[in-house]
Amino acid sequence: MKRRLGEEMTRRVFSVMLLSAVVWFAPSLFAQDSSQWILDQSTLSYHMSHPMHEVDGVSHAAKGKGICQSGSCNFLIAVPVKTFDSGDSNRDLHMMEVVRGADFPMVVVRAQFPESELNQPWIHANLQVQFAGQTAQYANVPFQRTQQGNQVRIQGTVPSTCSDFKITRPSFLTVPIKNEIPVHVDATWRKQ
Amino acid sequence: MDVDRKRPWLWLCCIAFLLAFPRAGFGQEAAVLAGSVRNDSAGPVAGAQITAKSVTSGPSVQTVTDASGSFSLRLAAGTYDVNVAATGFDSQTKKVSVTANKAPALQFTLTAPPQSRGLPNAPSTSLQEPSLQDLGFSPQQMQSNPQLQARLNRRTEMLKIHQKLGVITLFPMAADLVTGPMAKAKGRNGQLISEPTQANLDLHAALGSTTAALYVSTASFAIFAPKISGVKRRGAIRVHEALAFVHGPGMILTPILGSMAFSQEQAGEKVHGIAAAHGFVAYTTVIAYTASIIAVSWPIHLKFWKKK
Repeated sequence: MKRRLGEEMTRRVFSVMLLSAVVWFAPSLFAQDSSQWILDQSTLSYHMSHPMHEVDGVSHAAKGKGICQSGSCNFLIAVPVKTFDSGDSNRDLHMMEVVRGADFPMVVVRAQFPESELNQPWIHANLQVQFAGQTAQYANVPFQRTQQGNQVRIQGTVPSTCSDFKITRPSFLTVPIKNEIPVHVDATWRKQ
Repeated sequence: MDVDRKRPWLWLCCIAFLLAFPRAGFGQEAAVLAGSVRNDSAGPVAGAQITAKSVTSGPSVQTVTDASGSFSLRLAAGTYDVNVAATGFDSQTKKVSVTANKAPALQFTLTAPPQSRGLPNAPSTSLQEPSLQDLGFSPQQMQSNPQLQARLNRRTEMLKIHQKLGVITLFPMAADLVTGPMAKAKGRNGQLISEPTQANLDLHAALGSTTAALYVSTASFAIFAPKISGVKRRGAIRVHEALAFVHGPGMILTPILGSMAFSQEQAGEKVHGIAAAHGFVAYTTVIAYTASIIAVSWPIHLKFWKKK
C-alpha cells in the first residue's frame, strides 16, 4: 500500500515537473520559430498607359529575402531601375531620366504581413516602396499565394501612381501618360 | 521687493553660464574640415553621409559628398570622430583634431562589405528584417551616379527638341513636294512646251532651303545628344535610325540634283541625266523621313496587321 502511494506520488511530482518545464520553456521554443525565405525567381512589370501607347516594362533582376518571426513576416525585394525593359531602349532611357534612375538606382520594396497568412491563399501586405528618391506606403495590398512544392509563388499588383513618387509624367505629342503605373509582382520564394 | 530677491539668482545664473560655456561663447574659433571619399577603384563616392561628432560634447554636424566625392564641414576647435557612410560600402570612422582656423584634409577610401555577407543565399545579417546589404547587389549597382543623371537629363532635353523640330520640318517638306511639279518644265518628246514661272521656281527653292536648314538642325540635336554607354539599341528606335541612312543621303542629294535641274532649265534645256532623278530622290526622302517618324510614334498596341 505504501509502495503504491509512493509510486503515485512520484508520478505526480514527475507530471508537475514536466508541466512546469513545458510552461517555462514554451515561450522560448515558440520565439525561436523563425524562418528565412529567399527569392528564387521574379517578374516585376510596370504598366504605362497613353492614348497612343500601352507599355509594359519588365525586369527579372530582383533579389529578395524574407524573415518571419514572432508572428510577423518582413520581406525585402530590390531591383535596379535600369533592368526594366520595355522593348525599346530609347523609351527605357527616357524612363531612367524621368524617374531619376541614375541618382536613385534601386527600387526597394519592404513588405510586412502576418505570418499566419503564409499558409493562406491570399496575403495582405503593408508595403513601403522606395523609388525615385521618394517613399510611398501601400496598406493591405492583396497577393495571391500558390504553393508549388517547396516554393511559394506570390502574385499581385501594387497600385502605384506617378504622383506617389513625384514623377513628372512624360508626355507624347503633348499628351501625358496616365498617372497610374501599376506594378505587377510575380515572385517565387523558397524557404531557406 | 520681489525683484531684489531674485537679482542674486539672476547674477549667479549668468556667472554659472559663462563659467560653464566660456569657449562656446566667444573663445571657440571655427575651421573648415575638407576631404574626399573614394571607392577602392579611386572613383568618387557621391552622396556619402559625413557625420562629425565631437568626442567631448555637443551636437554632431552632417553633410553629404558632392558629385566629385568631396565634402567640407565647418567645425569648432576640438577633437571629432568623423564617420562616413554610403550605400553598398562599409562605413569608416576617423578621429581628427581641429584647431583654430586649421583642420587636416581627410581622405576616405571605402570598400564593399565582404562578399559572403552580400550573397543572396547567405543568411540575413538581421534576425528581425533583411537589409539591402543582404541581397548581394554590387556597390556599383546601388551607388548613385549624378554624372549619368546629368547626361540623361541633357539627352532627353535634346531629343525633345529633335522631336519638335522633326515634326515642324515635315511642313515645308510636304509643301516642297506640292510645289515641285509647279517648278518643273513641262515637255514632251524632248520638246519644251511650257516654262515654270520664276515665282514657282523661287518658292520651290525657298521651301527646299528651309527644309534643308530645319533638317540639319533636327539631325544635329539627335547626333549630338549625349550617348549612354552600355545600352544596346532595341525596338522602334532601330527602324528610326536605319531610315536615317535613307533620308540623310536623300536630303543631301535632293538639293544638289535640284540645283542641277534648275541650271539645266535656266539654260533652256529639258532636265536630263542624273538631275532627272531629283523628283524621285525627293519623294523617296520624304517617304523615308515620314516612315521614321511613324516608326517611333505608331501606337504599338494597335497592331494594324491583326484584325480586332
